[in-house]
Amino acid sequence: MIMTKQQFLSSTEIEVQTLEFWIEQQWLVPDRTAVDVTFSDTDVARAHLIRDLKGDLGVNDEGIDVILHLVDQLHGLRRAFAHLHRDIVPPSR
Amino acid sequence: MSNPYEILGVAPTASLAEIQKAYRKLAKQLHPDLNPGDKAAEEKFKEVAVAYDLLGDAEKRKRFDAGEIDASGAERPQHRYYRDFATSDEGHPYADSSGYADYMDTDDAFAELLRRSEQARANRRGRDLHYSLTIDFAESITGAGKRLTLPDGGTLDVTIPPGLIDGQIIRLRGKGAPGTGKGGPGDALIEVEVRPDPRFTRDGDDIALEVPISLPEAVLGGKVRVPTPTGDVTMTVPKGSNTGTTMRLKGKGAPRHGGGHGDEFVKLKVVLPKGPDPELEAFVSTWDRKAFNPREDGAS
Repeated sequence: MIMTKQQFLSSTEIEVQTLEFWIEQQWLVPDRTAVDVTFSDTDVARAHLIRDLKGDLGVNDEGIDVILHLVDQLHGLRRAFAHLHRDIVPPSR
Repeated sequence: MSNPYEILGVAPTASLAEIQKAYRKLAKQLHPDLNPGDKAAEEKFKEVAVAYDLLGDAEKRKRFDAGEIDASGAERPQHRYYRDFATSDEGHPYADSSGYADYMDTDDAFAELLRRSEQARANRRGRDLHYSLTIDFAESITGAGKRLTLPDGGTLDVTIPPGLIDGQIIRLRGKGAPGTGKGGPGDALIEVEVRPDPRFTRDGDDIALEVPISLPEAVLGGKVRVPTPTGDVTMTVPKGSNTGTTMRLKGKGAPRHGGGHGDEFVKLKVVLPKGPDPELEAFVSTWDRKAFNPREDGAS
């Protein structure tokens, strides 16, 4: 689902200043090509992760950068792994 | 649910700081987004989170210790984790292949497979972008060329096809968001709203309107100017026309699917001059009104 900034703020329960900071840090990269900045379900889930990291896990801003970068690489690897798995392992009958 | 103290691994006498510390330690190990391949982590994390919601809140903890509430029903609101989206093939701006880029640089079959899957992802079509546009009723019948100004300052030329219906969506191929690699751009989808014209109503390919005529025009006939979507035309009102008489202007409606055009139906409405007109009264009083009774067929 594509949502507006307002919908995103209410869905993630974060303040607008916080959102602006996260975008500035490129922790969140909303879509800017449409009518306004718009957010996807992926952005919402990523915002929840950032909120958990900062709040529950006590990670500081520098740490968020490192974690997001590593998590994204991990998902890149998982995606490549899934493709290889699909290409190599014949589908079960 | 088991004992929240046991879940967090703390003694029932633990301080709030100890509870927070224990929760943080477990959350670091079990957070589903830090364990993307571990399906069980989410369930375990949920238990830990519920236990912490109970014991991390002094008031709730007190009531739990007193046996007033138990740990059930203390569910956290559900949300989907980043891991549910991040591995998907759908394009998102966070995709990162730098973790295996070095493996793609070699010549072996493994590198070839990696490159192929990377290419498939890299050549993705751009998103469709949605816009809306309002046009006049006449433009919806005759067609028009419109220029849409986009939020980013760009413009988009839209050709409104003749006969467009309110709410119709025009697709401009390749005018959406750019794709990646050879994926090509998406499309622009423009929803067109037709601004109603108080004079006209549309019925399929035909349009209808009501035209007022004077008493002499009704009785004696005459030529009247009638609006159509392509401009005014002169129409001949036949002698003896009445309110409700409908005339057809052939081919003045919207284009038909199979070729040709619908028609414009003009419904006449006899209108008397506003206010009392002594001259008209004098004239009508000389007319033998008994000769005609519009109610004699039981209409009233």
